[in-house]
Amino acid sequence: MRALIIDDERLARVELRRLLTQHPEIEIAGEARHAEEALKLARELSPDLLFLDIQLPGMTGFDLLERLEDIPQVIFTTAYDEYALKAFEVNALDYVMKPIAPERLAAALARVRPRATVTDHPAPRLQQVFVRDGERCWIVRLPDIYLLESEGNYARVYFRNERPLIRRSLNALEAQLDPAMFFRAGRNAILNLKWIERMDLAASGGIVATLRGGRSVEISRRQSARLRELLSL
Amino acid sequence: MKMTTKYWLFQALGWGAYTAVAFFFAVRAVGPRPDVIVGFALFFLYSIALTDLLRREIKRHHWLDEVSLGVVAKLFGIGAALAAFQTGLIVGISFLFVGYRSEYLTDPAMILETLWGITWLNGTWIGLYAAITRRRRQREKETRLELALREAELRALEAQINPHFLFNCLNSIRGLVTEDPKLAQDMITRFAALLRYNLHGDVGHTVPLSAEAEAVADYLALEQVRFDERLRVRFDIEPRAGAMQVPPMILQTLVENALKHGVGKLPEGGEIRIQASAEPDELVLNVENTGQLAGASAAGPQIGLNNIRERLRLIYGSRAGLQLKNTDGDRVAATVRIPAAVMA
Repeated sequence: MRALIIDDERLARVELRRLLTQHPEIEIAGEARHAEEALKLARELSPDLLFLDIQLPGMTGFDLLERLEDIPQVIFTTAYDEYALKAFEVNALDYVMKPIAPERLAAALARVRPRATVTDHPAPRLQQVFVRDGERCWIVRLPDIYLLESEGNYARVYFRNERPLIRRSLNALEAQLDPAMFFRAGRNAILNLKWIERMDLAASGGIVATLRGGRSVEISRRQSARLRELLSL
Repeated sequence: MKMTTKYWLFQALGWGAYTAVAFFFAVRAVGPRPDVIVGFALFFLYSIALTDLLRREIKRHHWLDEVSLGVVAKLFGIGAALAAFQTGLIVGISFLFVGYRSEYLTDPAMILETLWGITWLNGTWIGLYAAITRRRRQREKETRLELALREAELRALEAQINPHFLFNCLNSIRGLVTEDPKLAQDMITRFAALLRYNLHGDVGHTVPLSAEAEAVADYLALEQVRFDERLRVRFDIEPRAGAMQVPPMILQTLVENALKHGVGKLPEGGEIRIQASAEPDELVLNVENTGQLAGASAAGPQIGLNNIRERLRLIYGSRAGLQLKNTDGDRVAATVRIPAAVMA
């Protein structure tokens, strides 16, 4: 697994590198001293794992995640950011406190899920997205998202009981989504096929899909025909 | 006891005592006549009512906020006018009971005597009321000052050991242990010295600037290990300035601010320059850092700086001050002026 270390302190990077020698399965692909450098390296190296310090000069670790299209696995490394960590939903992330205890690092690494291989897809597929809504933020795995709705240049992301906005257009998102999981219901919505519970015919001739949790989405006539085709396969 | 309860007790006791004594002498002179009994009973009641009216006016117009000769003259004028009114009531009531046989009419000197006595009485009332009110306000002001000082102390205490710094520092030292054991040892010694200074610190008193500067030097040496080449430091403290007294943690807070909001935000880092000079009647501390005050941060909460301002105000009043401004286009300077002569 290829990892990128992002920390502005050289000694912190040295120390983490030394600790990671105990974990040969982690290959350190690069080190970044600040967010700009991290953005560049993340795009170049597409690492599977980020070790991310929250306090970075110029831009916080959260700002960095917001600017990354695809979010790899993230382990936050922080000295003292209780406030920032509270912003996260419990279990949504893993973090280690500096100075890092080797056992704690091992536990965090054990929780890291191996990334699905994407080599057979021509375009990179999103694994998870980072979403921030005011003071709160989440790293959301795509299978947990049941609906995406267009709101101007933004998209509203529906998962669990949350529905924050993400700063990306629906079209930009669609290009990176797995077509086997996400389906364009019309101009304004993309739904997750795995979340469909029931489908009914609408008066307009299209289909009304009812998702788990009770939300229903109307699918345009043209897309309804495509959906029938897709599901009959 | 509540303030208002005390006030009414004083009113009743004061006027009661006077009325009782005067009544005793009147009865001894003319016997327990109905006009004497009713006259004194009513005097007791309307004197309380009238002075209470005066109290309400004093409060409404804030006459005691700033006591000047004019206020004193006005108050005693009112006291004399009230006395005239009270005397009129006394004479009137006496006349209602006994008509032209009233002693006040047969011996008009008695009216003047009564007026004179009651004027003194009202004057005493006003003097006492003013003295008690002023003392109470003084005590309230002291309490407020003390509370403000406590709060500043508490906040200074909180600011002393910044946990983010503490843990990052330990982490850096952990990294240094294998890389450069000698430097790691040095850092641990400096870390201990800084902790000792911080834990020992009593923010209510002042320390020589040299002691504060030594702690700041330790602090910056530790930060330099963390920041590597990104942080450059220059110290320029006149020996005479080093001997002068400053409130503890003042330089430390300025330097922390310069690092947190200035150099720490710049990916390429920058310089922090600490200057202290002894002017004829004041000490001038200057902490400069690379960076610029953005509109938002310039107007931001500035918790650390406000704490410094408050502590300077509590210790030195308006003779000390803190200024923060952009200089040279790429630098921010925080300047503190502390009067040299009187130290808390």
